[in-house]
Amino acid sequence: MIQRLLALSWRYRAGCLKVLLLQAVILSFGLFGIGFTGVGVDEIRYFVHATPRPPHLPFHLSFPGEWPPLGVVAVVAGAVLTLAILRAFLDYSYRVELNDLVQTRIVVQLRSDVYEKLNRLSFRFFDANASSTLINRVTSDVQLVRMFIENVVIQTVILIISLAAFLCYMLNLHPALTLACLATTPLLFFRSIAFSAKVAPAYIRNKALVDTMIQRLAENIRGIHVIKAFSQEATVMERFRLANQNVVEQKLRIFREISTFTVSASFLSQVNLVILLGYGGYLVITGSFPLGTGMIAFAGILQQFSAQVGNIANIANSMQESLTGARRVFEVLDTPLEIQTRPDPIRLARARGHVRFEHVWFDHGREPVLRDIDFEVLPGQCVAIVGATGSGKSALMSLIPRFYDPTAGRLLMDGIDLRELELNDLRKNVGLVFQESFLFSTTIAANIAFGHPQATREQIERAARIAAAAEFIERLPKGYDTVLGHSGVGLSGGQRQRLALARAILLDPALLLLDDPTASIDPGTEHEIIAAMDSAMATRTTFIVANRLRMVRRAETIIVLDRGRVSQIGAHEDLMRNPGYYAQAAQLQENEENR
Amino acid sequence: MKKTGNFVLAEPPREEDEKIEFGPLGFFRLLRRIFAHTKPHAAKRNWLIALVVIRSIQLPLLAWAIAATISGPVAHGNLRGTLWAALGFGALAVFTQACFYFRIRLALELGEEVIFDLRNEVFAHLQRMTARFYDKVKPGRIISRMTSDIEAIRTGIQDVVFISLVQVGQMLVSGLLMLWYNWVLFLVVLAIAPVIWSLNQYFRTRLALTQRQAQESFSRVISTVAESLEGIRVTQGFARQEVNASMFRELVQDHSRYIMGNARTSAVFLPLLELNSQFFIAVLLLLGGYRALNPAIHDPVGSIVQFLFLAALFFDPVRVIGTQYTVALTAMVGAERVFNLLDQPPDWSDPPEAISLPEIAGHVEFRDLFFGYEADRAILRGINFTAEPGQTIALVGHTGSGKTSITNLIAKAYLPSSGLLLIDGIDIRRIRSDSLHRRLGIVHQQNFLFEGNVLENIRFGRPRASDDEVLQAVKKLDYLDMVEAMPDGLLTQVGEGGSGLSVGQRQLICFTRALLADPSILILDEATSSIDAVTEARIQRSLVTLLHGRTSFVIAHRLSTVREADMILVLRQGEIVERGTHRELLSLGGVYRELHNRFIRDDRA
Repeated sequence: MIQRLLALSWRYRAGCLKVLLLQAVILSFGLFGIGFTGVGVDEIRYFVHATPRPPHLPFHLSFPGEWPPLGVVAVVAGAVLTLAILRAFLDYSYRVELNDLVQTRIVVQLRSDVYEKLNRLSFRFFDANASSTLINRVTSDVQLVRMFIENVVIQTVILIISLAAFLCYMLNLHPALTLACLATTPLLFFRSIAFSAKVAPAYIRNKALVDTMIQRLAENIRGIHVIKAFSQEATVMERFRLANQNVVEQKLRIFREISTFTVSASFLSQVNLVILLGYGGYLVITGSFPLGTGMIAFAGILQQFSAQVGNIANIANSMQESLTGARRVFEVLDTPLEIQTRPDPIRLARARGHVRFEHVWFDHGREPVLRDIDFEVLPGQCVAIVGATGSGKSALMSLIPRFYDPTAGRLLMDGIDLRELELNDLRKNVGLVFQESFLFSTTIAANIAFGHPQATREQIERAARIAAAAEFIERLPKGYDTVLGHSGVGLSGGQRQRLALARAILLDPALLLLDDPTASIDPGTEHEIIAAMDSAMATRTTFIVANRLRMVRRAETIIVLDRGRVSQIGAHEDLMRNPGYYAQAAQLQENEENR
Repeated sequence: MKKTGNFVLAEPPREEDEKIEFGPLGFFRLLRRIFAHTKPHAAKRNWLIALVVIRSIQLPLLAWAIAATISGPVAHGNLRGTLWAALGFGALAVFTQACFYFRIRLALELGEEVIFDLRNEVFAHLQRMTARFYDKVKPGRIISRMTSDIEAIRTGIQDVVFISLVQVGQMLVSGLLMLWYNWVLFLVVLAIAPVIWSLNQYFRTRLALTQRQAQESFSRVISTVAESLEGIRVTQGFARQEVNASMFRELVQDHSRYIMGNARTSAVFLPLLELNSQFFIAVLLLLGGYRALNPAIHDPVGSIVQFLFLAALFFDPVRVIGTQYTVALTAMVGAERVFNLLDQPPDWSDPPEAISLPEIAGHVEFRDLFFGYEADRAILRGINFTAEPGQTIALVGHTGSGKTSITNLIAKAYLPSSGLLLIDGIDIRRIRSDSLHRRLGIVHQQNFLFEGNVLENIRFGRPRASDDEVLQAVKKLDYLDMVEAMPDGLLTQVGEGGSGLSVGQRQLICFTRALLADPSILILDEATSSIDAVTEARIQRSLVTLLHGRTSFVIAHRLSTVREADMILVLRQGEIVERGTHRELLSLGGVYRELHNRFIRDDRA
């Protein structure tokens, strides 16, 4: 995983290099700023007390002796300021470059890639992954990958560069003192790593506990009518309190870790200062170490040094976090496309609508869902599929637009194996209406034209008329330009299904698949959609799944499924004459109505 | 809303929250209220305040000690003094860190404990709220009160208050020390502080603005992704992948432009701040050098060293407090929202003189009752009827005719606007809700189940029921074979909202849950979802058992249920237009007959 992320960073190496170079320059400017401040103090001391030897400048430079003291100080102050101004400009471009690299280039690319991939992935993938976790992959998990480059790769290099620079500068001044002052650094280093190794899993656990608590809350809000109806407020309150308690207890343990670590880290850096004061002070007194360029500069550098070392904990944390995020992102990008157009496919602009199942078997990895399905449908025919829940009706339907491929056997459209067809051609020839139709939160017109965004208003209106939707659409204040709320809230079930039907009809498909389209509609208002379906079905090959037999009777062929197998096939009258599921179910519904 | 072609990308979820703005007065009112919540943890809080005071002295003292050592014993060549000073510094450091440890830990703990109390408080409050509240408020909004808003309060307590206090103290003490050493140089420091402050204010405001823009564009990204995923089957079914992908790319690029805008602003701001303190060092060298070198003034060099260390402690708080102020505002907005929720009283509650009914016979009477969810729109108008104990009443009518409102009133989820609803002859307003609910069973249309196993879900109807009683109830409804066919029988895990079970199974579990409560009054809203014919027949059979011997109100979608009712009430636009038995109403030849005929006819078409 790390290698993969590094490879990703390598792809953006030019940008990374630029950012790092800038940072290196900024660092050295900062160091010289500290150095010049020290020089300033030394010069002033030299002129005032005239005791210590004249201070030495970096690179063995020295001020001409005839310069007035104040002139020297002014030059030094000027140097500090100039360096600072240069540094500010560089700092600006560093920040802009960095963000340009990670935000405009890396994140945009990754997000688009993941989104595009998600759009192509097969249904099996969406069956296995809840949509809420998938949203995170496009949004926050991508951020975590960015974090790897920004906070791990770049920060680590910066850390190394800056520690090296500090070290060189200090060693150059006084090796022994440097080593003494940095004696505790390895301790801090390991403590940081140990800390993040301990806290990262604790945070993961914390997240899980919080999720449980929120889930409990969400569930109780949605089920509040049940809670109140059964007078169970006290029970759920106690349950919530427990979940809440779990969060707090675990959090407090984390807090204890954090407090200990933060304090010990800052204590170690203060130990460094104690050493500097004692040992450094001794050196200054014995005259082997300057006060300004030596001691004050050291104090300044030590502060920056400990800040940088403290950064290790952050880097280690970011690494943990970004790795889990990256895993999830790459998981999506790596998921093989189970269903895709084979190279050199057969194009099919307009199908006739001849469908043939040839000994089709299908499963979701466990028991077969469909067993040896074998039948043929002629263009323009209507086929109804009935059977108990779980008998494989929806599975059979989902094979036709190739949402899944059969595990054995094959499906033919106009005599061509579906797998040899261009996938988009196939799907454009199939019109779909699901049990509960998902509508997008956009205008009604855009929803109807979903499959063919270039459709003209006339085409849209024609489709709406066929689907018996035109009447209610035109009654809306904004007509076809009405924007639907999220998931199309604001329309009745029957209206939504008619819009879905119009959406399917607009493509003028050769094949119409209706997967129990009246399932979520009140039987009292079912008639609204039945007429619409009748007009849509004319001239098209239609597959319809239904439980209510009034929908089924209009089919020329009825296929009865029983645990994945075709148990009966024939017209309504034929099936009624034979004992079996169909006759039994029909009898039950008949009784229900005629008693 | 961003338009691309004729496809409009998903709109961001509108946060219809009250816009929260408060002046300084409101700020302190909120602060006081949060402070009140620390009362149960007063010992912790008081220790914290003491630690804050100590630390605001310690920090400048540490810097002072370094500078004093360097410019004192070190500069004067006093070796013994230097060593003592170093040890002194070490001792001070140990003491400081000890205080630091408790300051961090206590603050973190206090914050967490306060929000623990708050969460329980909010949850308990939610249980008190009535149905009307849940009609209006979206679940997502309540959840964000409990998550982001309460989190904001926590950060507010843990960081803002104590960090800001330490910083203010530190600024004061280091200012005093500088003033003591050299008042002229301190004037320079004082002159720079406002510059930093105004820089801070200017950029913070701009950053907040760009940040908000970036967040808004991000919520567009999120809602688009969410919708794309929800509708993925439609997208693929209609072969729209390419179109969607290119639109999404534009959206993401748009978002990154906002992020860059924000980054540019902070790329100017942070280096400028840094530049400021460097500028001070340059001035310090120049001015301090001048004053040290000028024989007429002859300031000690030590004061320059002191200033080098102390000035940072003086400037830092300006920046830190600025940052904390932003965090504080977020915390206060969160607090305001949480308190608004807590302050919202339930729109009604049982009067204190309400009575508790130990037993209910199940006599229900509506007397000239009017009701509306909104004051100006009556849903039920002049409802009059009586249900005798043990009767089954079927409610029939179109969507919106008022069927559900009648059952909602019997369950005391809402109160009538006018008229009377009598249970066993007592006005429902005068009956304690909990005593009514104990004798009442409801099966909702959605068949809501909680996460947990089947047994726990059934027992929700009567928590003290034994395993055997649950089993008896299952047997009584005659679906033991279905339970046994589930992977772990009664212990089969049910997902959130009942996922993992079929509609039929869910419905039977809800029946059992109601049966176990053994209510005198039963409300049943029949599910409309289609179930295969065989399961359907079983559900009908259990239904007969469930309704037996109770006053039942059924919102019926099935003819068989209606036929068997003792009385059918046909509702139209909030009024009872016909009433009687199936036979009576058919022969009446009115609305009911028309409904009935269409039902049959559609079936034959």
